[in-house]
Amino acid sequence: MSIEIKDIHFSYGKVKALEGVSLDLPQGAVGLLGPNGAGKSTLIRILLGFLSPDKGGGRVLGYNIKDEQPKIRRYVGYMPEDDCFIPGLDAVSFTSYLGELSGMPRQEAMKRAHEVLYYVGLEESRYRNLETYSSGMKQRLKFAQAFVHDPKLIFLDEPTSGLDPNGRSEILELIMDISSKKDIQVLISSHILPDIELTCKYVVILNKGKLAAQGNISELKEIRDLYEMKIKGEVGGFLRKLKAMKCKVEETEEGIFKVYWPPDQDRQEIFRVAAEEKIQLRHFVKSETSLEDLFAEVVGVD
Amino acid sequence: MTIKEKGYSHWDGEFLIKKFPWWPITRYGIKLTFQRRFFKFTFPMSLLPAVFFLTGIYVSERLEDFPFLRGETIQFLQINPGYFKTYFTQGFMLFIMLMIVIFCGSSLISDDLKHNSLQLYFSRPLKKKDYFLGKTAVIVFFLFIITLIPGLVFFIMKLVFSGSLKFFLSYPWLPLSIIGYSLIVTGFFSLYSLSLSSLSKNRRLVAILIFGIYFLSDIVYLIFRSEFRSHYVSLVSLRANLQQVGAHIFGQKTPYDISWIFSFLVLLGIFVFAGFVLKSKVKGVEIVK
Repeated sequence: MSIEIKDIHFSYGKVKALEGVSLDLPQGAVGLLGPNGAGKSTLIRILLGFLSPDKGGGRVLGYNIKDEQPKIRRYVGYMPEDDCFIPGLDAVSFTSYLGELSGMPRQEAMKRAHEVLYYVGLEESRYRNLETYSSGMKQRLKFAQAFVHDPKLIFLDEPTSGLDPNGRSEILELIMDISSKKDIQVLISSHILPDIELTCKYVVILNKGKLAAQGNISELKEIRDLYEMKIKGEVGGFLRKLKAMKCKVEETEEGIFKVYWPPDQDRQEIFRVAAEEKIQLRHFVKSETSLEDLFAEVVGVD
Repeated sequence: MTIKEKGYSHWDGEFLIKKFPWWPITRYGIKLTFQRRFFKFTFPMSLLPAVFFLTGIYVSERLEDFPFLRGETIQFLQINPGYFKTYFTQGFMLFIMLMIVIFCGSSLISDDLKHNSLQLYFSRPLKKKDYFLGKTAVIVFFLFIITLIPGLVFFIMKLVFSGSLKFFLSYPWLPLSIIGYSLIVTGFFSLYSLSLSSLSKNRRLVAILIFGIYFLSDIVYLIFRSEFRSHYVSLVSLRANLQQVGAHIFGQKTPYDISWIFSFLVLLGIFVFAGFVLKSKVKGVEIVK
């Protein structure tokens, strides 16, 4: 396991950012999800050694997160969420500079900078001053600098934000390429759930500083069965009874009811309650739970 | 060619355990400073006083070839520690140093704050100490070119022009004074400008602060002097404190009638305060956004 942490607590003054988070992440791409303020960025910063946990500990790539941060950072790449660059440099100098700071020999850092800039599609503009780059180009550049030193693990914080659809799909392609074919573990923090669903098999969901769920996306989706139905009649009593059976119900704009049904309960109960309440079920279909459904279910938001 | 076709390849080299991990920061800092057009013009000008003083050393050994020189000029051309003190501590020379730190020091940290690049540095195996050393060394590089190097060159050229070791035997401690004062004045200007650079994301504002605080301290000193008529008020002037310590290091009478120790303590206090500011302002991450 490249990331193992146990019982991590961290506070910004009186505000608790993380409370008792424990993780044991597998190889491959892992999605890190959570609403704003859930503690995602704090967790990444702790894993990088920017912040030291108040309580708890762990290892990244086998190195202790409390006292071996320089070693972790040598083998880890980080793509920050914010726009960040060094003014006055072109992309080649910028990328090779950061390669050198990672410990690469100067000549090799320069050679490697050209390679990774080709890889992210910035070959044409690699000698242009960074101040003239568009936000999409800066996003690619941040991605390039994160793996110029060929890290074993990369933290990507909102890697597709600010990209047009083409750029987004290219970056997602790159993430899938490096995580599935090149043995580089990727931890992606993103608000764009379809991106996570496309690139990751495993997901960690944080909510209010606590671990809300973690596991394979396919397994997590099986927490509840999802049924879609159209109903005719007085729905109030019917929905109340379903909710009393620990079932979550949502109504879509098209008037379709999405029912998240606990898999340990018999779905015949739905028909029984409908009969009791004299409701007509005009459409009843088992549907596939999406990551958005799972996220809404776990975090408790729509 | 699509990105996939280009493919990703692993790097098969080995990381270096660098003795000076801060060196790339210094190298790039120097390179970026030289990219500024105005600096390219002003920096060579800052070497003019050194050329002037070096010429003075040459002339002092060939006075018979310059019969038109008289009185004060001849007195000025007495090459002794006072000559070196004059070079290092004259107000104009300190002003040049100030201009250099405005050009190269004001943006060193403020640009990193403005463009969020601190997190790029600290996501590498760098310690805060390395970051500060790398940035400080940029200023040290430029200031040494106009302090330490000319000072040592003057000393060597004096021996060469005179063709004897008499000067060295008379003042064997002078090279140490040159090194010591160069370190103090360079250290002071480096920490002074870096700490101010860490206070704002706006390099122009930092430049104004570097310039303004230095001259404001002098103006306050002049006001206090006319009001209180005490030499102790010279302690509020950054320039006066540098001159006071410089005079002592070169074995000359101090320009203000108070112990040089007080001035040294003021400079030391500024060192400590600047270090504290840097430590508290430069973080790998902005915690509150």
